[in-house]
Amino acid sequence: MAGHDEGGLRRVRVYGMLIALLGIMMFPFYAMFSSTFKPESEIFSAPATLVPSQPSLGAYVDVWTQTDVLLWIANSFVISLGTVVLTLLLAIPAAYSCARNDFVGKRTFLLAVLVVQMFAPVVLIVGLFDVISRLGLFNTYLAVIVPAAAFTLPFNIWMLYGYFKTVPVELEESARIDGASQLQVLTKIVLPLTKPALVASITYTFLYAWNRLLFVLTFLTDSGKYNIPRGVFSMVGALQTDWRMMLTVSVIGIIPLLVLFAFLEQYIVAGMTAGAVKE
Amino acid sequence: MSLAEERTQTGDDSRLAQSAAHVKRNRRAYLLIAPAAVFLVAVVGYPILETFRLSLYRSPADSTIETFVGLQHYVDIFNSDIFYRLLWQTGRWVAVGVAGKTLLGLLIAVHLKGDIRGRKFFRTAFLIPWGIPYAISAVVFRWIEHPQFGYLNAILLKLGVIEQGIGILGNPDIAWLGVVVADIWIGTPFMAIIFLAGLQSIPQDLYEAAAIDGAERWHQFRYITLPQLKSVILMATLLSTIWTFVSFDVIWTMTGGGPISTTATLVIHIYQVGLQNGNLGLGAAYSVIGFLLLLLFAVVYLRVYTRGGEEL
Repeated sequence: MAGHDEGGLRRVRVYGMLIALLGIMMFPFYAMFSSTFKPESEIFSAPATLVPSQPSLGAYVDVWTQTDVLLWIANSFVISLGTVVLTLLLAIPAAYSCARNDFVGKRTFLLAVLVVQMFAPVVLIVGLFDVISRLGLFNTYLAVIVPAAAFTLPFNIWMLYGYFKTVPVELEESARIDGASQLQVLTKIVLPLTKPALVASITYTFLYAWNRLLFVLTFLTDSGKYNIPRGVFSMVGALQTDWRMMLTVSVIGIIPLLVLFAFLEQYIVAGMTAGAVKE
Repeated sequence: MSLAEERTQTGDDSRLAQSAAHVKRNRRAYLLIAPAAVFLVAVVGYPILETFRLSLYRSPADSTIETFVGLQHYVDIFNSDIFYRLLWQTGRWVAVGVAGKTLLGLLIAVHLKGDIRGRKFFRTAFLIPWGIPYAISAVVFRWIEHPQFGYLNAILLKLGVIEQGIGILGNPDIAWLGVVVADIWIGTPFMAIIFLAGLQSIPQDLYEAAAIDGAERWHQFRYITLPQLKSVILMATLLSTIWTFVSFDVIWTMTGGGPISTTATLVIHIYQVGLQNGNLGLGAAYSVIGFLLLLLFAVVYLRVYTRGGEEL
């Protein structure tokens, strides 16, 4: 039937287009991955071979001894987890307070927080440089964690505030009558009910701290504290770059993130759309 | 007594007592927001003020001596050719970047909208470029665009488009395009996800009615999808404009602003002047100009966000 054919044709067109778009978006990953399987002689041959002619895992053997990739990964975890903890410690009480109370200055506070998100760290970097040095934080993990927490705080406060509001007050009141303390109410009742928001907040903060170069570049000169982006950046040579090692480090540096995406995709999407799409 | 009732009560002398009572009653609420508020004031508020202050001083990073110079830095900036070149380079960077992200994101979203098998797989795959370190994306694009060993040249040679490998990032005329491509790649997933969410909230019966009328697909897109998606597009492009404007990691890793400063934007220049050259005062003055531009975007954003007097 004509209608059926039309539908079938349309499906082919849509899937064809999707695969083409996916191909474009995945191409950089292909270039990265395929290059790491080339032996040294092949990676530096011109023009480049689009498929490794003699695939080898050599780069993944060499990378552990020739670079500090393990140290960079460890530092990335310290920085990301530190940022998550600090941000949540500040955001949860603030968001809870705003969701449960009506007080003078609440609107101003929430709008000010929104404006902070507009102020990208890079236009503040000169002033931040001053703050970090006055606090004596140079070359400590805190030099990165403190500003990262400040710039993830707005998202966290708004995300959690939105969810806390949806928890019925009656639920908390009955728990209070049963003798639960306010902290118990928060940890045993409110937080479990707002798990999606918590997961979205944690993933967003973790990714933010894992991915940013600027703070590490500016406030950590001690190469023993470099994270993955800074480590990769340090491998870019003025005259010569060891592309094989650099790309292998890059692959290893994004593997934890790919795991994160595979399991938490729906929370990440929920977080991304929270600000821009409102009903 | 509610806040509103409290406000409507008159009597000037009792106002002070009333606000004291209000603070007392809400002491716990204030205590709970205090840590976050103090933290933000210290780590964001103070640096803003400090940046304004520094912009009035000649202040080398390697010295503790500051000399007050008033508005001299601003005068120097507005009298320099560099500033206008930076504005032009920042403008084209933002315009092309945001346009690319919007169009590509819209294209992906429109095709992901229907009854797609494996949508979760596609959505996750399209998301990845957004979520990996910018510095890594930057070196991968550097690698793709490598004049001798890059994949781009290999493909173009194979297709017969070029006869000799081209060096994009070393060429002052086109280097910025080589960088903006990477930035578009990074920023597209956000747009796609936002547009997809927006598309899914359009009532399906609008399309069904149009299908009965025999509206063509382009007309459906033009007269149903676009108008329905207007506010989402506005919000997303506004956010994208801000993020593209302050994009630092990608440019810094790919070119460091070169060759001959043709890929430098305002924020790259702030970093070069203020931190690399250690001229904190001049860097701060450039930052203040950056603030003002951001503030402009932020005001528009807040207008749109709180439109319709929505309850906070």
